[in-house]
Amino acid sequence: MPVILLEDVNKLYGFGDATTIALDEVELSIERGEFVAIMGPSGSGKSTLLNVIGLLDRPTHGKYMLDGRHVARLRQQSRARVRRDKVGFIFQSFNLLPRMTVIENVALPLAYKGMLQTKRLKKAAAMLERVGLSEKEYFYPSQLSGGQAQRVAIARALINDPQIIIADEPTGSLDSASSRLVMELLSDIHKAGNTVLMVTHNPSLTKYASRVVFMHDGSIVADEQTKLGEIPDTLKRSMYFAPRKTVDDDLKGVSSLMNTMPDEKPAAKKVSVKKATPKKRTYKARTKKAKAKK
Amino acid sequence: MVTGNFKIAMDSIKHAKWRSFFTMLGIIIGVASVVTIISIGEGVKKQVSEEIDRRGPDLITVRPGKVAETDENGRINSASIFSSLVNAPLSENDLKVVSGTSDVDYAVPVSYLSGVPKVEKTEMPRAVVFGTSGDLPKALNQKIEYGAFFDKGANKNVAVIGPRVAEELFKETVPVGASMQLRGQSFVVVGIFEEFNDISLSPEADYNTAIFIPTEAAKKLNNNQLPIQQILLRPDELSQRDEVAKNVESRLLNSHAGQHDFSVLTQDNNRSISNEILNILTSLVTAVAAVSLIVGGIGIMNVMIVSVTERTHEIGIRKAVGATNRQILAQFVIESAVISFVGGIFGIIVSLVANFVLRVSTNLVPVITLPIMGIALVVALLVGVVFGVAPALKAAQKDPIEALRRV
Repeated sequence: MPVILLEDVNKLYGFGDATTIALDEVELSIERGEFVAIMGPSGSGKSTLLNVIGLLDRPTHGKYMLDGRHVARLRQQSRARVRRDKVGFIFQSFNLLPRMTVIENVALPLAYKGMLQTKRLKKAAAMLERVGLSEKEYFYPSQLSGGQAQRVAIARALINDPQIIIADEPTGSLDSASSRLVMELLSDIHKAGNTVLMVTHNPSLTKYASRVVFMHDGSIVADEQTKLGEIPDTLKRSMYFAPRKTVDDDLKGVSSLMNTMPDEKPAAKKVSVKKATPKKRTYKARTKKAKAKK
Repeated sequence: MVTGNFKIAMDSIKHAKWRSFFTMLGIIIGVASVVTIISIGEGVKKQVSEEIDRRGPDLITVRPGKVAETDENGRINSASIFSSLVNAPLSENDLKVVSGTSDVDYAVPVSYLSGVPKVEKTEMPRAVVFGTSGDLPKALNQKIEYGAFFDKGANKNVAVIGPRVAEELFKETVPVGASMQLRGQSFVVVGIFEEFNDISLSPEADYNTAIFIPTEAAKKLNNNQLPIQQILLRPDELSQRDEVAKNVESRLLNSHAGQHDFSVLTQDNNRSISNEILNILTSLVTAVAAVSLIVGGIGIMNVMIVSVTERTHEIGIRKAVGATNRQILAQFVIESAVISFVGGIFGIIVSLVANFVLRVSTNLVPVITLPIMGIALVVALLVGVVFGVAPALKAAQKDPIEALRRV
C-alpha cells in the first residue's frame, strides 16, 4: 500500500479563457521509505504538487489517498489535522517563527495537538539532539546560521512522526557546506525509514534520492528509480545537467546564448569571440542554455 | 493551548511595548473614567447615608410634592429629582396639623427665603437663608459651637449661622453679637453652628453656608407668609415612628382635601431617594464614559487588523504545521482579550490614583469596591473579545499558501 497515491489529479486556476492548468492528470504513487526528488522548470507545477500532497491545497479533480485515507475532499478543519499529524514541511526560507526560541519552534506542532508544555518541550529537546543542535535550544532563529536554522526546521518537521516529509528546495538559500550538512541529515532521516519528497533545482542533490520525478507543464514527464549516490540517466540526458559554461561563455556574457549551434556538442567551446558571425539559432538551443544557466 | 496562546499574546505585547500601550490607552481611559465616576457616586451615597444615620433613625421629614413613587410594600421604586422645585410649598397650617398629631415630640419647619446677606460692603451671594424654629439643632442632631440657638418662640431679628458664613461674611471665627443686613433689616448673630459634614454633590443643601432666622422674623421678611419646604419631626419614641408617620400622612391628606401633594418620609425613604437620584446621575455620566470604552475597543480592533496583516507569514507557518482555523482564531481573540484586560488593570490603577488625588484635593470621598473593579475588568475583557473577533476571523481565513508566500 503506497503512502501517497495520486490518481488523475488536476489543479486549475482561474476560469474561462484565463484558466491555467497547474497540474494536468498527475498519477503518482509513492511507497513508504522512498526519497523522491521532483525536478522541473519554474511553472512546471512542482510547488502545486507539493501543496496538494501537503494538504495546503485541494486538487480541482482527482483522487488523493494519504496513508490509506481519502483526503482530496476533506474540510479545512480535518485537513489541518491530517497535515499536523502526517506531514512535515521543510521550506527554502526555513519559516521559523522569529519570536520563539528554537525549542518552542520545534515543539509548535505538538502545541496544536494539545500536548502539555513540559511533555512537548521534552520531546522537542530529544528531536533537537537528533539534529545535533542541543546546545542551541534557547537561541532565537535570528541567532542561528542558515544551516542551523534549516536543521531546526527539519527537527520541527519530524516532531510529529509524519508519514511524509515535504522539502521545498531545502538547500535553496544555503551555501554548499551547509547544504551538504542538511542533505546528509535528510539522507539519514530517509535511511531511518522515513518517506521524503523533495523539490530541487540542483541536479547533484538527486544522488541522495531513490527516485527522481521530472515535471513539465503540470505533468510528470519522466519517473526514474535510481541507486542512492547516483545521478539518474534521465538527468544526464536532459537539459538539467551540470553547468556547461566555460571561460569563453563568461567572457561573452549573455550573447553566447544566441550563438549556440543546436548540433554542436554541449558547451559552445567552438564559438570563439573572434568568430562573432551569428549562426542559425533554434528555440531548443536557447531553452537548453537558459536552463543550464539556472 | 490556552496557556500557550496566553504566552504568545504576552510576547507580542512585550515585543511591541509602545504600540500595545497606545492600543490599551482607550481601554485605560475608559475603565479609569467609569470606575472613578462610579466610585464618586458610591462615595457620595455612603456619606449621605452616614449623615442620615447621624441624624437618627426616628427623624421624619415632610416635603411638598410627591417626591417618590412607592410600590405596595412602601418601597421606593422611582424618585423625582425636580419634584420639590415645581410644587407649591407647605403652609403654616400644615405645620399646625403635623405638630398637632399625637405622639409627635416636636416639629421643625424649614423655609427657604431669598436674599443676599450683607455686612458693611461684603456680600455673600451663595449663603442660603432659612426660617426655622428653636428645635432645629435637635432635629439635625448638630451642636452649636459658639453662642446659642434662638428659642422656640423667638420673634426678634436674630440669626444663627454656619461656620462658612462666619468666615466669608464676617471674616472672623466667632462673630457672635455682630449684625448683618438682610433685605433691609438688621439681624444679630447669636450663635454659630459646628461644622456640618460637607457632602459635595449631595442633593441636600450645604448648611455650612446657611443663615437660620426665626420663623416669625422670616414671615416679616416675606410679606407675612411662610412657605415651608420641609418639616422635620420626631416621635416621642423610636418605636412609634411608623405609626406617627402614618398618622401625619392621613391627617395631612384630610387637610389637603384628599390631594396627595406632599410626602412623609422616614430616614430609610430619604436614603432610598437620595440613592435613587445619585444612581440616575451616575448612570448617566457612566454611560457617557462607557462610550470611551467602545472607542477603545475600536482602537484595539484597528491595531489587531494591522497586526494580522503584518503577521500573515506567521499565520502561514502556523497553518503549515497544522494549526486549524479555530486555533488561529483563538490565538488572536485571546491576544486582543489580553491587551484589553491588561488595559483594564492599568485603568484600575489610574482610577486608584485619581481616587487618592480626589480625596486629598477635594472633599469627595470616592469608594472603589472590589465588585466595581471586578466588573470593570470583566467589561474590559468582553470589549477585547468582542472587538477581537473580526480581526481574528480575518486571520483564521487566510489561505496558507498565500500567507506563506508573503514575507
